[in-house]
Amino acid sequence: MRANTQSLQRAEKTDCVPAAGLCGAGHAANPQAWQARLALEFERREARTVLSRREHFGPLRVQKALYPEGDALSHAILLHPPAGIAGGDTLDIDVTVGPGAQALLTTPGAGKWYRADGRRARQDIRLKLATGGSLEWLPQESMVFDHADGLATLDVQLSGDARFVGFDLWCLGRRARGERFEHGRMQTQVRISRDARPVFVERAVLQGGEARLASPTALGGATVFGSLLIAAPVIDATLLDICRTENPAEGRGAVTRLPGLLVARYRGDDAEAARHWFARLWALSRPTLLGRPACPPRIWNT
Amino acid sequence: MSSLAALTRLLHLASPALPVGAFSYSQGLEWAVECGWVTDEAGTRVWIGDLMRYGIARCEAPALVAMMRAWRTGEVNEVLRLDAEFLATRESMELRAETVQMGYSCARLLRELDTLPAFTRQALTGIGELSYPAAWSAAAAAWTLPPEDAVVAYLWAWLENQVMAAVKIVPLGQSAGQRLLVALGEPIPSLARAAMTIAPDEWENFTPGLAWASAMHETQYTRLFRS
Repeated sequence: MRANTQSLQRAEKTDCVPAAGLCGAGHAANPQAWQARLALEFERREARTVLSRREHFGPLRVQKALYPEGDALSHAILLHPPAGIAGGDTLDIDVTVGPGAQALLTTPGAGKWYRADGRRARQDIRLKLATGGSLEWLPQESMVFDHADGLATLDVQLSGDARFVGFDLWCLGRRARGERFEHGRMQTQVRISRDARPVFVERAVLQGGEARLASPTALGGATVFGSLLIAAPVIDATLLDICRTENPAEGRGAVTRLPGLLVARYRGDDAEAARHWFARLWALSRPTLLGRPACPPRIWNT
Repeated sequence: MSSLAALTRLLHLASPALPVGAFSYSQGLEWAVECGWVTDEAGTRVWIGDLMRYGIARCEAPALVAMMRAWRTGEVNEVLRLDAEFLATRESMELRAETVQMGYSCARLLRELDTLPAFTRQALTGIGELSYPAAWSAAAAAWTLPPEDAVVAYLWAWLENQVMAAVKIVPLGQSAGQRLLVALGEPIPSLARAAMTIAPDEWENFTPGLAWASAMHETQYTRLFRS
């Protein structure tokens, strides 16, 4: 019954049809399986960052670039009209930030990994930043439904003195419905490298209902977890001290500093508290990191 | 090397007397006790056992296997690549500092042992930061120790160190400590066997509870341990 509701929702919410050849033969089990791809390129042209390339296949979009903070920094909102990823779907997102360009990307709502119905879903996000570039990658949380089966990779490749801020937040099960992540699998891989040298690597293969979800060394029964990651050539000790003055309203947070990296980790049951904590740390770090005051994307308020 | 000679070397490498400073690290356990997650023998068993199963055995152990292989075939660049990968999996400032300090001490020690081939000693000289498994694997490879046995020894040394830290911090009696070594030593052979074949893209370092405890330990007011 739930599967039907989902299909309808996917059909209603999306206004585009799968491109021929991308979605057809071999997709009989889930005829609506999407292969979606989005490639964006931000380029610095004199004082302005422009969205110089925007290619998409399937249901992934950005609307036009916004400039709420002036010309140098381009904001964009990433849209995935089906609102979630079902079994068999693949999403490919490539973002390139050219030398000296500055971009901020966010999403209008939580991403969802639906029940898989026997087929694996996959999302690959590659973010490439040239020297002098910056990217604030601030998506809202990803919700993993019971019976989901997904692989999500986030690969951030930095060059020279590029700066990166990223949110990577996960919710297991739909808590509002009392649903827990009891079945299925979610595999996540996060990698940040600078000039091809790894800075941060975290990999997990979570099985629904496995004992690790309850282990104090892992999730301790918590359903929401994730990190705020800040990568810069040098992370100032004072930035660490400033970030340590903030705590999430619910759940546990801790901040640490590694070479060229600041990591704030959340573990708890409240995605909103985690998001707000990340947003406060982002706001606190922005003056040091990017020489700007915080300017929360308006879509976060809706 | 005969199997008994190899065993002797393994005992040497797994010994708490190896001067690498392992005894000064609790790997987040000190904070886990401070915040009340670990209060007794049963809780210690869960904490250490789970860290071994979900952390060390799925990330550090397979990395160690790959590093031993690279040392054996003389691919120093591959060792360095694996080392950089491993260092990037360290969850906190303290956990990274720990493996780098132990790696440094281990490499310094190995350079002074004439039983190691000149190639290994030379390779260990030019390297800046080296993680503990990267240095330790140099000796295991040079002495041609059977890799699976070496992983068993490595896991045992880690376990023994954790249990000794628990005896001091929780605190626990000596008998409780020995009971933990018996119980937690049991899965080591199967974890070592699994570590031999885990594909690199399935190496996992998902222990956010450890990451949290270790980051909190960095500002713990009174502490005995360096991690």
